[in-house]
Amino acid sequence: MTPEPESDDDDQDWKPPAKPARPFLIAVAAASFVGAAFAAESTSDFIQHLDRQVHSIHCSFIPGAGQELGDSGCRTVMMSPYSSFFRESLWGGLPVSLWALAVFAFLTYRAGLLAWRGSASRAEATFLFAATGLPLGMSVIYGYLAVAQIGATCKVCVGIYGASAVAFGAAFLAQRRVPQPVGQAPDRSKFPLWFAEGVAFVAALTVVFLLFKPPSSSGKGNDGCGTLVRADDPSAIMLELSDHGRVPAIEVLDPLCPSCRAFDTRLGASALSDELALKGVLFPLDSSCNWMVTEALHPGACAVSEAILCASGLGPTRDMAFARKVLHWAFLHQDELRSQAKEDEKALRQRLEREFPDIKGCLGGYPVKNKLTKSLRWAVSNAVPVLTPQLFVHDRRMCDEDTDLGLEYTLRRMLSRKGPDSKEASR
Amino acid sequence: MNESARRTALVLVTLLVPAALVASWASSAGRRLRAGASSAAASSVAVASVSDDAFCTPQLKAVVRRVAGACGLLQGGGAGRGCQPMEAKKVASLTGGDFNAMFRPLAKRAHIIQFDADKTDLDADALALVDKAWADQRGASFFFVVSRASTDGSEERNEVLSRDRAKAVVAHLTERFHDPDLEKQVGLLWLGDQFAQLGDEFCGWSRSRTAECTGKDINRSAFIAWIDCAI
Repeated sequence: MTPEPESDDDDQDWKPPAKPARPFLIAVAAASFVGAAFAAESTSDFIQHLDRQVHSIHCSFIPGAGQELGDSGCRTVMMSPYSSFFRESLWGGLPVSLWALAVFAFLTYRAGLLAWRGSASRAEATFLFAATGLPLGMSVIYGYLAVAQIGATCKVCVGIYGASAVAFGAAFLAQRRVPQPVGQAPDRSKFPLWFAEGVAFVAALTVVFLLFKPPSSSGKGNDGCGTLVRADDPSAIMLELSDHGRVPAIEVLDPLCPSCRAFDTRLGASALSDELALKGVLFPLDSSCNWMVTEALHPGACAVSEAILCASGLGPTRDMAFARKVLHWAFLHQDELRSQAKEDEKALRQRLEREFPDIKGCLGGYPVKNKLTKSLRWAVSNAVPVLTPQLFVHDRRMCDEDTDLGLEYTLRRMLSRKGPDSKEASR
Repeated sequence: MNESARRTALVLVTLLVPAALVASWASSAGRRLRAGASSAAASSVAVASVSDDAFCTPQLKAVVRRVAGACGLLQGGGAGRGCQPMEAKKVASLTGGDFNAMFRPLAKRAHIIQFDADKTDLDADALALVDKAWADQRGASFFFVVSRASTDGSEERNEVLSRDRAKAVVAHLTERFHDPDLEKQVGLLWLGDQFAQLGDEFCGWSRSRTAECTGKDINRSAFIAWIDCAI
C-alpha cells in the first residue's frame, strides 16, 4: 500500500503515482551521500593544509582510499586558485568543497526525507530535481576549469562529478514518476522555504569553518622569509617572465622541477600576477652544473637551462619571448625530459636542438655554461636556500608555506608593502 | 515517527555530522599551526654557497689568500687588479716542491697551457683549453694562472716571459667572455724559472698540446685552474 503523503505542500488532490518514485528518491539520497563523502574527504584534505605543512591527500575514486604525498592531479587541483573563494582575504580561502559538502548534505536530507516517507509531491520532486542541478552545474564548470585551465584532473573531484550526475539523473526520474495533479498549476509556494533550508546548510558549515579555522596571519608570512642582499643583475642572467606589472619580483626556478611548474600555473592563474614585473633566475637542481647539490634531483635541468639562456641571447640583444617559449615547452614536457636525461643527456641536448634549431651552436658552448654558472652564483651572492621555486617580491622572500594555498593572501600583502627604498621597509 | 520527527532527525544527522567534522579538522589544523610556530626550528634547507673542497688545505688556502690579496681580489676588485710581480717564495712561504705538491689534488680541475720557447702567444688549442677551463667554474671563487718559463735564457727574461704568458691568458679571457667578475676572480702568479719548476709528471695532466713533453716543455706554460676554496 502506498502511504498517504505528509508533504510540505499539502496537495489536496494528490493521487498515488502510477509508478513508485521511492527507489529513485533512495538513489538520490545515496548518490548525495556519496557526493558528501567525496566532498568531506576533499574538505578534510584542504583544511589540514591550513597548518602550512605538507600532508598526503586522498586521490582515489573510492572515498577514503588512495592517500598520496607526492604530486598528483588532486594536489594540483587543490592548490589551484579555483579550489577556494576569498583567497586574498583568508589564508587558503574558503574551500569550494565545503560548500559542496553542505549542498550534498542538504540533498541527502531532502531526498532522505522523501524516501523515508516513501513518496513525494510534485512540488517536492521538482524542487529536488532543481536542487540536484546545482552540483551538476558546478561539476560541469569545475570539470572544464580542471581540464582547460589547470590541466589536471582529480579523482576525488571526478567522484563528486559522478555523484552529482547520478543524483541529478535519479531526481529527474523521480520527478517524472510524480504526476502533476490534474487541473492544478504547479505549486511553488514552498520553494523559498526549502531553498532557505539549503542556504542555511551552506551558511552553517561556512560559519563553523570560519569560527574554527586557523588564523590567516601566522606572524611571519607578511614580512616574508628573508631578503635579497643583491637583487641587481650585473651579469644579465635574469629572464623577463612578465613585464606588464609594476612591482619588481624575482622567481628562482628550475625548468624541470614539478613544483616550479605547479607554482607557475598557480601564479599565472592568479589575478595578482598582473601586478608583478617578474624576472626569473635559473637554478637547476642538477649536479652536472650545480655544485650545491650532490645528485641530479632533476636530471637534464642544466641542459634545459642552457637552452633557455641560449634562447634569451647571450649578447646585448635579448629575445625574452623565445626564452619564455622554451621554458614553457620544458614545463609541458618535464617528465619525459627528465627521463630522457637520466638515460642519455646527449640525446636530450640533440632533442633540444631539433625542437629549437636557433639555439644550435650555443647549447653546450662555453659562453652559455659560463652564463649558467653566473645564474647559480647569483643565488650564492644572495645566500638563498637551495630549493625551487622561490618568489621574491620587493626583495622579500615569500615563505615556502605561503606559495600554494596561501599564495593570493600573502602576495596581496607583499604587494601592498612598500619597496626597499621606502621608510616602511627600512624600519 | 511523524514527519517532523523524521525531519529533525535527518537535519541533525546531515547537518551536525559535517559541522562537527569541519570543526574538528579546522581546530586540529589550528593546533598544529600553533605547535609548528612555537617549535619553529632553523630551516634544514642548505643555503647556496661557493665550493670548499676537501683539497683546500690550510696551506693552499694561505696561498690563495695571499695571491688574492696581492692581486686586489679580496678588496672586491673595485680599484682594478693590483696584481704586481711578486716575490713568489714570499707569497708561498714554501719550498718549490711543497708549493707544487699543494696543487696536486687539483689534477682533475687544472689545465696546463703550453707555449713555444721564448713566446707568449696562445695557439688555437691553448685558446680552446682556456675557454673550457674558464667555463668550468662551478662553485669556485678564484681562477689561478700560475705561469712559468723554462730555465733556458736569463732569469730576467724568463720573469718577463712568465708574466706575459699569464697576461696573455687574462687578455684572452677578457676579450672572449666580457665577464665583469673577471677582475675579482682571476689571480696571477708568475714564477719565472726560479721557483717551483714543474716536474715531468705534470706532462700527464690536461695539456693544450698532445706532443711529447719534456721538463722544459712543461715549464713553458701557464697552469690554470679554478680553486674550489672558500677563503
